[in-house]
Amino acid sequence: MSRFELYSPEGLRLDGRRWNELRRFECSINTHAHASDGSSYLEQGNNKIVTLVKGPQEPILRSQLDATKASLNITVNITKFSKMERSKSSHKNERRVLEMQTALVRTFEKNVMLHLYPRTLIDIEIHVLQQDGGILGSLINSITLALIDSGIAMYDYVSAISIGLYDTTPLLDVNTLEENAMSTVTLGVIGKSEKLSLLSVEDKIPLDRLESVLAIGIAGAHRVRELMDNELRKHAAHRVAKSSAK
Amino acid sequence: MSVSAVSGGRKRLSEGLTVTQKVFVRSRNGGATKIVREHYLRNDIPCLSRSCSICPTIVVPDAKNELPKFVLSESPQDLKNIGKHYTVLDTNIVLQAIDLLENPNCFFDVIVPQIVLDEVRNKSYPVYTRLRNLCRDSDGKKRFIVFHNEFSEATFVERLKDESINDRNDRAIRKTCEWYLDHLAKSEIKIILVSNDRLNRISASDEKFITKSLYEYVELLPNSDEVKESMPNLDSSQYNKDAESINEFSYPEFYPTSRIMGGLKNGSLFQGNIQISEYNFLEGSVNIPSFSRPVLVVGQKNLNRAFNGDQVIVELLPESQWKAPSTVALDAEHYDVNDNPENDNEVDANLIADSQRRLLAENAITAQKSNKVQPTARVVAIPRRSWRQYVGQIAPNSVDTQTGGTQNVFVILMDKCLPKIRIRTRRATELLSKRIVVSIDSWPSNHKFPLGHFVRNLGGVEEAQAETEALLLEHDVEYRPFSKKVLECLPEEGHDWKAPVDLKSQDAIAKDPLLQKRVDLRDKLICSIDPPGCVDIDDALHAKKLPNGHFEVGVHIADVTHFVKAGTPLDAEGASRGTSVYLVDKRIDMLPMLLGTDLCSLKPYVDRFAFSVIWELDENADIVKVDFSKSVIRSREAFSYEQAQLRIDDKNQTDELTLGMRALLDLSIKLKQKRLDAGALNLASPEVKVHMDSETSDPGEVEIKKLLATNSLVEEFMLLANISVARKIYDSFPQTAMLRRHAAPPSTNFEILNEMLQKRKGLSISLESSKALADSLDRCVDKKDPYFNTLVRIMSTRCMMAAQYFYSGAYSYSDFRHYGLAVDIYTHFTSPIRRYCDVVAHRQLAGAIGYEPLDLSHRDKNKMEMICKNINRRHRNAQFAGRASIEYYVGQVMRNNESVETGYVIKVLNNGIVVIVPKFGVEGLIRLENLTKDTSSANFDEVDFKLTFTQIDTGKQREIHVFDKVEVQLKSVLDPVTSKRKAELLLK
Ligand SMILES: [Zn+2]
Repeated sequence: MSRFELYSPEGLRLDGRRWNELRRFECSINTHAHASDGSSYLEQGNNKIVTLVKGPQEPILRSQLDATKASLNITVNITKFSKMERSKSSHKNERRVLEMQTALVRTFEKNVMLHLYPRTLIDIEIHVLQQDGGILGSLINSITLALIDSGIAMYDYVSAISIGLYDTTPLLDVNTLEENAMSTVTLGVIGKSEKLSLLSVEDKIPLDRLESVLAIGIAGAHRVRELMDNELRKHAAHRVAKSSAK
Repeated sequence: MSVSAVSGGRKRLSEGLTVTQKVFVRSRNGGATKIVREHYLRNDIPCLSRSCSICPTIVVPDAKNELPKFVLSESPQDLKNIGKHYTVLDTNIVLQAIDLLENPNCFFDVIVPQIVLDEVRNKSYPVYTRLRNLCRDSDGKKRFIVFHNEFSEATFVERLKDESINDRNDRAIRKTCEWYLDHLAKSEIKIILVSNDRLNRISASDEKFITKSLYEYVELLPNSDEVKESMPNLDSSQYNKDAESINEFSYPEFYPTSRIMGGLKNGSLFQGNIQISEYNFLEGSVNIPSFSRPVLVVGQKNLNRAFNGDQVIVELLPESQWKAPSTVALDAEHYDVNDNPENDNEVDANLIADSQRRLLAENAITAQKSNKVQPTARVVAIPRRSWRQYVGQIAPNSVDTQTGGTQNVFVILMDKCLPKIRIRTRRATELLSKRIVVSIDSWPSNHKFPLGHFVRNLGGVEEAQAETEALLLEHDVEYRPFSKKVLECLPEEGHDWKAPVDLKSQDAIAKDPLLQKRVDLRDKLICSIDPPGCVDIDDALHAKKLPNGHFEVGVHIADVTHFVKAGTPLDAEGASRGTSVYLVDKRIDMLPMLLGTDLCSLKPYVDRFAFSVIWELDENADIVKVDFSKSVIRSREAFSYEQAQLRIDDKNQTDELTLGMRALLDLSIKLKQKRLDAGALNLASPEVKVHMDSETSDPGEVEIKKLLATNSLVEEFMLLANISVARKIYDSFPQTAMLRRHAAPPSTNFEILNEMLQKRKGLSISLESSKALADSLDRCVDKKDPYFNTLVRIMSTRCMMAAQYFYSGAYSYSDFRHYGLAVDIYTHFTSPIRRYCDVVAHRQLAGAIGYEPLDLSHRDKNKMEMICKNINRRHRNAQFAGRASIEYYVGQVMRNNESVETGYVIKVLNNGIVVIVPKFGVEGLIRLENLTKDTSSANFDEVDFKLTFTQIDTGKQREIHVFDKVEVQLKSVLDPVTSKRKAELLLK
């Protein structure tokens, strides 16, 4: 039994949002210009994520070399202090983390034009500083931003969001408390289309409810794309202004 | 256990949405954790007053695209000297006076701040549910609303430095009042904050809104005299001047939370639910996981205000005070403090250090293993009360009939495990010898008895209607008529509803697209066999010999879920009732009559929707294959057990229906034999039936239920259907299938019975397996007395575990086992009209065969857990209510005919014996005082289960052993104190 009402009859969620509202979404790119070829910092609610992209570069191991396209390597580092309670293990080889890495590689393999960079390695390193639910979605958003910063060719934005299903009401952009209490779906959406690059379902969702969940999810992902796009354009304008001033 | 604070720093996100962080420090298990959560503040939270012109412009629709309803009236109640007003409630008012809030004659236009709702939810979930129901259902008359003050930018308050969480929350409530007053300034509606917290009222005194205590507020009402009756009785010092009640008596204070947390962690304190002994209301036992047997809590002070069923924290007493469970019978109604030796028993347990206490726990565990001495403990805190509304009657000797006016009186509850309740009423004289409902408010440590208040008068003692209602209330059975919302879910056609004649007709399919998936079984020769006069026929059968020598056997169960769709109010009502309740003179339905006795009753000669299980059985009654389908059937005949028996036995009948019935009977005998071979138990309970005079509906005579071969015919196929369905739904929903299990009894349960059998008869019951148990029960015979075997079976039944409903994810497969039936998996599928488990099983089976997708609530472990918990409780209550009803009527029958009957001694105590009378299925205690004049000469031999005493009339010595067959004089007496009629037994 949860201590609070997850979704009150008055239509408010635990943290005061309504069913279709996103959490606070703030992002910036080129945050670690010296340490990487592309970087981003993302805060989605209390998810705080740093992403570094290195490459395309020559692979260290010969096994990573592919003559026809670039190899994509994604490492997720979930810090020990990212949750409320400090964890003892470093989460490094946890199944959940490995699964997440595989899901991320599969998502981005199809959206990055890897064939343009044969015989190279694109190495993406993610540090989760704090997490508060819907982490997979936030990871995808942060990778999209960092890849764009690095200038690696992509077909379009991939924006992602998690949706929970409370009884019959879909709840957009779930936080930890909500995520623990209900079944959730994470969607990755390509650009302004309704094409999904990722659909991950935790626990069971009744088929007859999936449509409404997807509808609000896609709308939410488009909104995320818009927020990222605004930030990128602002950043670009700023850079252009700086370089023309020189 | 949490301290919350809000750090500053609001950030505006967009128009009308601001975010801030809520920072808590939570201490749990000694460690401290900092918790940071986002908290969004908004400006679109409406006041929900009809007099407001601003809020309707700011509201936004919810996920269903509905706008909030403006509930609070534009012309609320007008009080003298105050004027039109809305009421704001404080948390303690909701917790203490929820009955009063539900009273239809007071409290209109009430605002519940969100912070109050949250606090109520944390303190008492049932009260929270009642408050939420008030907000949901009261829009017409009572008009309660929740105002989300915590999420509104205008009313959210940040915790100040060094401010306690309670002070901060009180301030939040005051802020809400202030905002409402300003917001509604134009309409001149006043705000009254009702709070019993004096400090909160003082802090509010310089504000513009009005604050009142509950008492002051009720005084203002035009109907205050009437309303005051149901005021909670909290503390006598407040408006209760008589000192008579407050004597020097006081209970030990409860330990503070910190000490409890520490104690539980270091193993010096234990937590469990307390169970008060049926025979002695001053003795309780607490089951603690680390102990093999329950720990005893003996005496009033050690029980320390615990009620039967409360969750308690206990501390062990020093070893010198451990004892065997008492062999004395004691009940609350006859109990007088001055006679109680336990009172002197008080120990200052604080003198023992925690380290010593841990040693004590080890000793306690060894002591339990080795001998009969039980560790004893005392209650040091009660984290959760099991309080509900209780039925009782006013103790006549506590009423002063001369003076009118308000007075304190005692109410003696029907449940004899509970103490009497002190209430304050001015209708004491009027309520004498009436069954009344009371509610408990508090139990301060300086009061010997808990304080409560009067809720409702049910009617006179021994009036059939009042007694039935009392019984239903006592067992928490919902018996009010179905609400309009529920009845609206029934088919519009009502009794004229008909199954479509042609399943392929386009019109019918347009109305019900699932019709195409139904199988037409109207050509099968189906019949039903039930008790005579049965109106809710939920099962029917058919059998047919197949060309290959095998049999096709079908069990057809009423298709209740066709009418009861998941998620409707009808479904919610059924889920909440959980089961139908059968009383001697009344049936409380789980689902409305229209379904139970008509649309879902598989009546003969009409088409009905059914859920069919069809097997192919070989000649040994082994299953070759099984099929499940929703169907349409037409029963050819509805037999009573006797009619069916006659038809089968009549050699002249050779029509196909009769042949089918004979085949069913043959197969059922084989099935039963297989079951018994596998170790199924045949236990007995003294089941009796009360015949009612059809004209006066007075109880006539009592009869022990008889069983015919056709009874077990139906039963065997129902068992088979239940097993087949259980396998199927477990296969499709391995995590959430609705099942029923019956655990093997722990050997400790049988210890005493085995000792008695060993000592007295040289027999024993084996507990190795259910098969061994069944066989050893068969061997328990006394050649001279055929009833002895039944007696042992009755006593064994009481040592068994109760079967329970569960969802498959809750246990591993090996624990699914149904011990009594000796099968590995089982469920209830065959009576969806009267059991909710079956409704869920139907839906899951429909999902498993792809008929229609299964509702989310039956696929979710948490929801299934809630369902199981509820139906287990309802099922148990229904059984108790049924038994209590029989007991009451048996008493009424005996009232008119006193007689001498044969009885058996089933328990020997220090101060009496317990005798069971099979003819009436009653059992009762014969006190030592009624056995002998000279109680001091009596001798109780614990080892031999023997009580020796001098007989009253003859003056001779007499020995009574357990299992002795005795003649008892049976009469029914009305207890002057409890006004409860019970069988009084006297030894002949
Ligand atoms: Zn307003």
